[in-house]
Amino acid sequence: MWRRIANWHRRWEDGYLALFARPARAQAAPGQASARYRNAALALDTLSSVERQQLHAFSLAYRGARGYALLGRLAVAFSLVGALLRLAFPATGWIAAIAAANAAGFALAFGICGAWFNYRKLVLRKWHFLARMARNALLATLLLWAIFLCFSDLSPPEILGRLPRMLAMMAGIGLMIAVPMLAVGVLRNRQHEALTAQLERDAERERLARALSESQLRLLRAQIEPHFLFNTLGAVQQLAQQGAPRAAELTADLIAFLRASLGDMRADQSSLDAEFKLVGSYLKVMQVRLGEGRLRFTLALPPALAPLRMPGMILLTLAENAIKHGIEPALRGGEIALSASVQDGVLHLRVADSGVGMGATPGSGMGLENVRHRLRLAYGDDAVLTLEDADPGVVAAIAIAHPEAVQ
Amino acid sequence: MTTVLVAEDEPLMRERLLDMLAAAWPEARVVLVAENGNDAWDGFLEHEPEVAFLDIRMPGLSGLEVAGRIGKLAHVVFVTAYDQYAVDAFDAGAVDYLLKPVQAERFEKAVARIRARLDLRPADLGALLGHLKAALPGMRPERTRWLKASVGRQIRVIDVDEVLFFQSDTKYTRVVLPGFEALVRTPLKDLLSGLDPQRFWQIHRGTVVNATAIAAAERIDAERLQVSVRGCEETLTVSRTFAHLFRD
Repeated sequence: MWRRIANWHRRWEDGYLALFARPARAQAAPGQASARYRNAALALDTLSSVERQQLHAFSLAYRGARGYALLGRLAVAFSLVGALLRLAFPATGWIAAIAAANAAGFALAFGICGAWFNYRKLVLRKWHFLARMARNALLATLLLWAIFLCFSDLSPPEILGRLPRMLAMMAGIGLMIAVPMLAVGVLRNRQHEALTAQLERDAERERLARALSESQLRLLRAQIEPHFLFNTLGAVQQLAQQGAPRAAELTADLIAFLRASLGDMRADQSSLDAEFKLVGSYLKVMQVRLGEGRLRFTLALPPALAPLRMPGMILLTLAENAIKHGIEPALRGGEIALSASVQDGVLHLRVADSGVGMGATPGSGMGLENVRHRLRLAYGDDAVLTLEDADPGVVAAIAIAHPEAVQ
Repeated sequence: MTTVLVAEDEPLMRERLLDMLAAAWPEARVVLVAENGNDAWDGFLEHEPEVAFLDIRMPGLSGLEVAGRIGKLAHVVFVTAYDQYAVDAFDAGAVDYLLKPVQAERFEKAVARIRARLDLRPADLGALLGHLKAALPGMRPERTRWLKASVGRQIRVIDVDEVLFFQSDTKYTRVVLPGFEALVRTPLKDLLSGLDPQRFWQIHRGTVVNATAIAAAERIDAERLQVSVRGCEETLTVSRTFAHLFRD
């Protein structure tokens, strides 16, 4: 029997705790108890999330035995106060004094509790609150007076004469409860406002930091290495001086590369098709510069994947890395293979080089960090970049689980 | 006639340097055109040119490392892509440098400067190279730790530090260890860039010896020495270029 009651109590507590934690979910929950919860949830809806979280934390801390122990301790304390009152005013009865002290004490405790967790409404509508308190005091007085009328053996005029005194007493008790409640409410509200302001400042700072890092990223993407530009222009100059028709071809590739990479400053998003073309023009430029003996490359993009959206410049960064850390330091040069494929809904992008491999030329890792950051911004945890030693060279691979869900 | 070495890894840049050299200095004789640092150094030992134009970023040995090995044996002009740190270091040192893409006017000036200095002793690059190596990150060379060599039908993995000496054998390199020797399918000039020059001394174009294995060096004639190696019967010849290693 006891166990059943305890179990029921525990479920009841759990229900409310869940409700405090997530009122929206309880509102949606089906089941027999849900009507009661739904009403409570509607009431909770008027609380701010900070208030609700505090209520949840409090309820969690004082659930079960601890809560009842607290109530018991309060009852003992209030009874002591009642006993002291009885000693101070011997005219009252023991039971009446202790009962009155407990009633007033618990009214004060629950009132402050309410004010503690629902301070915003209390402070926002304090006149409404005071009026309600006054009305309740009046009603309580009348009720008390009516009880008195029925059970007292005093004459009606005498009882009528006691009315002002009783009214004054009730007003005193009412004030005793209302003033601390209001004080607590105002105090808590001030705390809440400070906290809100702090949170707003934090959010603002975070937003600024993010905007800053995004603009830095944009700058990084737009950055074309001066080495690349100078050396390519040198190659164009040499070809032009030799009167070689390849000068025009190299210039065309450089223009295509510059247009795509500068154009990308304006748009965050690009398509696989555009990205492969960008990498293609970059590799063609590098092939003219390094010579066909030192750089060979293949690009494999299935037509079905060409229109797929993705953040721009990521593949180019990987291709640049392959050139810089793989092909250029290799005595015999090597090959770069760029490919895209879809397997089980996952998009795989691969940049494989047959150069000197990892560790031979340590870079700053800035480029890769940038790529990881941009993938995270665009796909969250759905995109993974891995770098693996191949024999020979390195394979940089990006796997994107929901490539269509790019942000 | 002044002999010149040109080392540059990009073919068009290489042609450009050669064209400009032919125009600005017709009397210079280009004895070697190298496409990487390893060939540049090997070719330097073979031809001993008086002037070397060295690209800094090249596969194999970097231009800085080649210059470090050349030491005071030739006049060096560096060719480099724009790099503020490098430029500052060059400006502080006495060595000339050309920024890529090299323009004819600037090249002529460099040639004029070199010709004026030809009769002087080449500048010592030691301090400058120290600065440059610190200033150019990512240019620290990767050291070889293990060598794979075929001995008969077996593949042996050799700890580089245990090697007594390396000797060039056309396309292969003979690797001699205490008690056995093996052939590695890499030419010595390409092995060289992976070896710590403090430990492995090149004493001849075709010979690199582990300094810890050297027992003694003795004079053969006015120019040449020979070195005896611990744990090995052979003696190794030290060429004139490297005789300074054994001068006290």
